[in-house]
Formats: sequence, structure tokens, C-alpha cells
Amino acid sequence: MTEPLLKLTGITKHFGAIEALRGIDLEVRAGEVVALLGDNGAGKSTLVKIIAGGLKPSSGSVWFDGAERHFASPSEAKKAGIETVYQDLSLCVNADVVANFFMGREITRKVLGIPILQEKEMERITGQAIAEAGTRIPSLRTNVEHLSGGQRQAIELNRFVHFGGKLVLLDEPFAALGVEQTARGMEMIRQVADRGVGVIVITHIMAQAFQVADRIAVIRHGKVAGDVETAKTSPEQAVEMITGGTLTIAGMDRAGTGRDPAQQGEEANR
Amino acid sequence: MTPARRRTIEFLLDNLVWLMLITVLVIFSLTIPRYFQFGIFANILEQSTYVGVMAIGLAMVIISGNLDLSVESTAALSAMVTGLLFASSGIGLGIDLGPAIVMIPVSMLIAVAVGTLIGFINGFFTVKIGMSAFIVTLASFIWVRGLVVAISGGRSAQSLAPEIRMIGIERLFGIPLLAWISVLCFVIFAFIMAKTPFGRYITLVGGNEAATFRAGIPSGRILWMSFVLAGALAGLAGWLLAIRTSGATANLGVGMLFNAFAAVVIGGVSLKGGIGKLPGVYAGVLLIYSIHTAINLMRLPAHWTQVILGLLVLAAVLLDTLKLRLRERLL
Repeated sequence: MTEPLLKLTGITKHFGAIEALRGIDLEVRAGEVVALLGDNGAGKSTLVKIIAGGLKPSSGSVWFDGAERHFASPSEAKKAGIETVYQDLSLCVNADVVANFFMGREITRKVLGIPILQEKEMERITGQAIAEAGTRIPSLRTNVEHLSGGQRQAIELNRFVHFGGKLVLLDEPFAALGVEQTARGMEMIRQVADRGVGVIVITHIMAQAFQVADRIAVIRHGKVAGDVETAKTSPEQAVEMITGGTLTIAGMDRAGTGRDPAQQGEEANR
Repeated sequence: MTPARRRTIEFLLDNLVWLMLITVLVIFSLTIPRYFQFGIFANILEQSTYVGVMAIGLAMVIISGNLDLSVESTAALSAMVTGLLFASSGIGLGIDLGPAIVMIPVSMLIAVAVGTLIGFINGFFTVKIGMSAFIVTLASFIWVRGLVVAISGGRSAQSLAPEIRMIGIERLFGIPLLAWISVLCFVIFAFIMAKTPFGRYITLVGGNEAATFRAGIPSGRILWMSFVLAGALAGLAGWLLAIRTSGATANLGVGMLFNAFAAVVIGGVSLKGGIGKLPGVYAGVLLIYSIHTAINLMRLPAHWTQVILGLLVLAAVLLDTLKLRLRERLL
């Protein structure tokens, strides 16, 4: 088996007396979609922030792309090829679509050593990327504050599809999206994974996890409570792992139930 | 509404301050005798220099989402240091470095360096330590002014070296060199704000700092740099002020902070951060000094300037709020 793209060993994180993570071991391979499940407060977002360089782990090590890495900032993680889409939107609403799309990696051309923004080219690329994804935004020069929640999220999603990198982290990416846009978002995730990018997607909608992921990892009380292939588990088992039913049948073959329609009730319950 | 019409309205809203400036100038020219003269306009440009240069830095700090109350005192300190070193009477040491070609850049660099240092200190406490910019720069406003009084002993430096003074006397196309300097500063910094990644980042950081940090932009460094630039520009304003007054007094520039703030707000910069353009700020400065000049020409008591300015700032903020509403209705 090939070397994993991302390997976490013994990651812990405490905030004062609170132990958010208590020894996480997790691997993600290139081209693999891993769904990270867990109850509210289980430590999912903390884990994502550690991988993305926004937080430092209290102990444990992060291996990425074959070397042990300690990202001191999101910019370092990004340089290494880790792309993150956060739960709360990471857009600057006071700037236009193009500026947001290219935030942090503007195309520039040096004139006398001074970097000059190449607006026309950035606008062209943004327009292309957004059109390919089937999102409709009236003008790329509109400030993001005038756009709808769905359009905003589309900018973020298109950003990772376009720029890719080696590993993509998605923290509740579909929170603001409608049914159709969510379906398209899932498609995007598959597309990106098929290009050989590793994907970690956090969600608490079971249906989404089972639809898109190759593997399901469950975090509970700051530890990995289960890490199984999607085909070898069922939503019921996943729920049990999330809520803390003692479960040691992770390897058990119940492939047939993997796409259980019962999961749709989950979504309706939200 | 047709897109073309909407675009026109958008354009007008974005450039409202220029419209106001033109309107005011036309009204004054028609109603006040002797207002419509080249000399008057050249004078408005020259008067706008000091507050103008200062307002550039202030605007950048405010666009990045912070506040700098210290620019006035910083300019005063730079002016006093320039006066102290290069003026020959009063407390001036009268250092002579020879020809203008040496004196001008050296004195300017010293003044700018003094301002840069103050800006650096402001940035350190605000960005690195995480203190409120309001408190940090209010403290600087006080202690830097205190330093001006302390190093001068409350006295003044007069008779700046003529090699430096020529900057304040020479004209180019009939317009004082001083005015050209402020125009040049506005052109340079407007370009930086609109066309370079650094300028783009200042606006983005002012809009949503967390988002820029996540996007890998060194937001702390951008914020710090905006303080440093504000300090440097205040230093430059102080140098120009020293040239203009041929030295420096301990209370030089008192009240400039208010004018700079007024210009920034009238120019369309939002105090909430993230919104504003430097050409608008220049129009704001010109507007203020057009009104100053009108009041002088009408021989109204100077105190009225302050009343009018206060009302103007209020009107500008009101206009900004209305503009936002109008835009929401349009889009």
C-alpha cells in the first residue's frame, strides 16, 4: 500500500483544563475522501484547524507528504498544499468576487520590481471556474456582500476545486446550500478526489457522508471511535459510534446497507 | 432599471465627494467676490498639503480596520526634530551639510524615520501585543506631543536652512512645489492601494481579518505595516510643515488630527474598515480647505470654520449611511 498523504499520530490538544483532543490517529491517502463524523463538541473542528495550521497541537505529530510537518500558520499549510474551506464563511464581503476568489494568491506581474495585480486575467479565470461549476453570479465585480449565501459558498467551493493542492479540508461545507447546490458540491468533491487529491469532509449529515466518502472516521470525546470503509459499515453503526455504543464490528461486512434510504430522515430532521 | 443607468448611479455614489467639491467650488466662485482666481486655487492646493499627506496614512490605517490618533503629534515631532537640527535660531542647532542636494534628502529622511519609529511602536502594541488601537494611539498622541514640548523646552526653532526652505518657495507651473509633493504622494499611494497585492490586502484585512489569515495572508504584518506607513507619512507631513513655517514651535500642528479625520470621513472612508479610496480622501481634504478659504475671504470669524467642519463631518457620515441604503435598494 502506498504511503498515506496525511498521517496523524497521537494528536492531543487542550485549552486550559479542557481536553479537546485526546490522542488522534488518522491517515488519509491521496485520492481518498474521508468523512469525519462526530457529535457537536467532539473535536472535529479543532482537528481540522490543527491540520490547516490554524492551531498548534499540544502533542503528537503531523506527517504530510512523507515528512513530519508542524505548520505554524495557515499560510505554511497552504504552501505545502493543504486547502481549507471553513464552516463559517471565509470571505471578505467588502471586496468583489474576483478579489475573494484569488485571496492570498493574486496573479501579479512585476514592473520595475513592483508586483502589479493582473485584474483582467484574474477576472477571466474566476469567470471560467465559476461558469464551469454551473454557478450563476451576475457580475464578478459585485462586492460579495450583495450575493446570496449559496453564491458565497459557491465561491469558496470553486476556490478549492480550482486551486486544488494535495489535501482539501472541508468543514461543514454545505451548511448554507440548497438541495441542488449540495448535490453539485458533492460532485465537486468526487471530481477533486479523482484528480488524486486527498479530501477530509466534516459533516453531521449522515446521508452526505455515506454518499461521498470512501471511509468514515468517527471522533468521539477527542478520540477516534471508529475508522471504517464506507462500504463496510452502515448509518446505524456510524450513529452508534458517534453516540458511544460499544462497537467492535468495524470490519464486519454489511455492504448492502451502506446506501440505506433511512439516512434521508436524518436530513429532514435538521 | 437598466444596467447602464445603475452603473451611472453607482459611479456617482462612489465619487460623491468629487461632486460635492465641484459644486462647492462653483457656488463659491459665483457668490464670493475674488474667489475665482488661479492664486486662490493654488493656495487651496498648498494648504491641503500637510493634512493631505497625513490623511493618506490615516486613511490606510482606518481602511485596514484600525485607528491612528497619533498622526498629528507624530508630524509635530518630525517637524521639531527637523527644526532642531537644521534651523539656525531659537533652539535650532543649525547643522550645515552643504548644498540643497544633500540637505533636502537628509532632513527628509530623518523626519520620515522619526515618524516611522512612532508608527512602528504603535503597530507593536496594537498588533503584536494585541492592545486596542484607540488606546495605544491616544497614548502616543499624548506622549509624542509631550516629547515635542520636552525636547524643545516649550520654545521654538526658527530660520530653517535656506537650502531646505527652497522646497517651500519654488513653484512648478505656477503651483507651489509643496502641493505637487502631496499630489505625488496621493498618486503613489492610490496606485499602491488599487494595483498592488499589499493595497489589496489592506482592504481585505479591514473587511475580514480572520478570512485573510486563513487564506494565508500575513494579516498581522499588513496591519503593522499600515501603522508604519501612517507614521512615515505623518513624518513627511511634519517635514513639509517645518519647511512651510521655517522651523517648528512646540504647538505646531495642533488641530490637524481633526482635519485629517474629517477629510478621511468626508472622502468616503468607512470607520468600520474595509471601505474607502484615496482619491476620495484627497477630494475631502480639498473640500475642507475650499471652505476654509471661503470663510477667510468672507471675513467670517475663523471660529465658524470649526462649526462648519463639524457639521460637514456629520453630513458626510449621514450621507454614507444613506448611500448604503440606496445601494441596497438598487442591488
